[in-house]
Amino acid sequence: MSFTLSELEHDALVEIFNIGVGQAAAAMSGIVNEAVTMSVPSISFLNRADAAALLGHRGEQAQRICGVSQHYEGAFETEAILMFPEDKSLEIVRLMVGELVPLSELTEMEQEAMSEIGNIILNSCVGTLANIFEQELQGSLPVYHVGTSEDILSASGSAADSVVMMLHIDFILEMHQIHGYVAFILDVSALRDLKEQINLYLSRVMGRN
Amino acid sequence: MELEANRLGLLESVLGAVHLGAIVLDTQGRIVLWNRWMEQYSAMPASDVLCRDFYTLFPEMRSQRIGMAIQQALVSNFPSLLSQTLNKSPFPLHANRSAAARGERLQQAIAVTPVTVAAGAGERHCLIQITDVSIAANREKVLREQAMVLRSQTFSDGLTGVANRRHFDVAIDKEQRRAKRNGGKLSLLMIDIDCFKAYNDHYGHQHGDQCLIQVSAALTAMLHRSTDLLARYGGEEFAIILPDTDAEQAMKMAESLRQRVLALDLEHRYAAEGNGQVTVSVGVATHSPEQPFDVPALIGAADRALYAAKRAGRNRVAAHQA
Repeated sequence: MSFTLSELEHDALVEIFNIGVGQAAAAMSGIVNEAVTMSVPSISFLNRADAAALLGHRGEQAQRICGVSQHYEGAFETEAILMFPEDKSLEIVRLMVGELVPLSELTEMEQEAMSEIGNIILNSCVGTLANIFEQELQGSLPVYHVGTSEDILSASGSAADSVVMMLHIDFILEMHQIHGYVAFILDVSALRDLKEQINLYLSRVMGRN
Repeated sequence: MELEANRLGLLESVLGAVHLGAIVLDTQGRIVLWNRWMEQYSAMPASDVLCRDFYTLFPEMRSQRIGMAIQQALVSNFPSLLSQTLNKSPFPLHANRSAAARGERLQQAIAVTPVTVAAGAGERHCLIQITDVSIAANREKVLREQAMVLRSQTFSDGLTGVANRRHFDVAIDKEQRRAKRNGGKLSLLMIDIDCFKAYNDHYGHQHGDQCLIQVSAALTAMLHRSTDLLARYGGEEFAIILPDTDAEQAMKMAESLRQRVLALDLEHRYAAEGNGQVTVSVGVATHSPEQPFDVPALIGAADRALYAAKRAGRNRVAAHQA
């Protein structure tokens, strides 16, 4: 299915998410005592297969992705997933933890640290959204996954025809710039709810209607 | 009604028996539940903490991530996870009294979740669950230490204990990138023991090994900055990477190294020149920021300088003439 937002709706969402990741970056700076900056340069709406392909293929083999997911419900329902290529997640955890001896995979404790990073980013994004929509959402605790992008996007058990709202995230820590994604999996009714909430917000701030 | 009463009693017992810490705060942030695990590891009985404000007990936590997590649970209804790695033991919990005396806290993983009490007309509470992850954290520490030992073994020369060729290749690459970024000068010394083949032939390989060990120890002793690196480049050839060092400083360093080896006063009656002692020849090359940078070219230049020193009669230092 195709889904489009008007330019105004799109810009509003980008702005809202930039506020969200800005708060997440501030929280992470507090943890590591160093400047952390995050921004969302763009958002795109894709079907699940295209979203998986966007993350999935560098060269021949499907790339291994680390994902941290949380389920949210209320004004709209979604599975939110923070995703980084596995080597990038190793880099992030190493920079955050300041570990000198990196092992080839995330250890149990590092996976938990990654889950916490995901928890901070996802709660900030969804929290800002909920705030601006003047709605309340409930969330689950984060779950850590590793696998192909298709594995991770389908782990929530959502229908294959779901739409994925993809946030591109730029993450800068200690001169390292790391690109990642936050995916929101939305079904048809969640998409309708989201669009409705954006328009309610826009009419509030623009005094329309 | 009786069933309901039993049920409450059962829940209370279960909370007392679970192997994790459970704290519940009400909307105002007062402690309304403090289970037996918490009593045991905090050495604070529930009777002392119940009904008290959480931040009165733990004032430092208000500005920490745990404070943010509590706020998020009570206000935004979102749960948070605090990992052991990113949050160093927020709660003053100790395995036992002697650990407490040493100030050694339990390693903690914490989940903070909103809890809506159904009967209380939607009044929101927040549950803080604390898990002791000391065992897993220590296991990983051991794993990391072993990885560190393994890595240092694969990067050092078995005989002399100085960096090996593999370490050199990684280091020169790293220093080249650093010099390019900072516009610094990078010098490289190539050092070769003179007439080492003759030494081995006459004194035997065991003495040859001893000679290598003594020379490398003497060279190591001359390096005072942690960024300088001595590596065994090949058989009797050593290389020294000197970051942020110009040609003049590098020449001085090379000359002191040559003299230091001479001062060892190791007998070498079969040396082609000199007073029958073990000597070294040193080739020096320096890269300046204005030149285009290439690691093989720098190594080649130092090699050619070393060859020039040998040709000029050994036991001397020569610089690469750009």
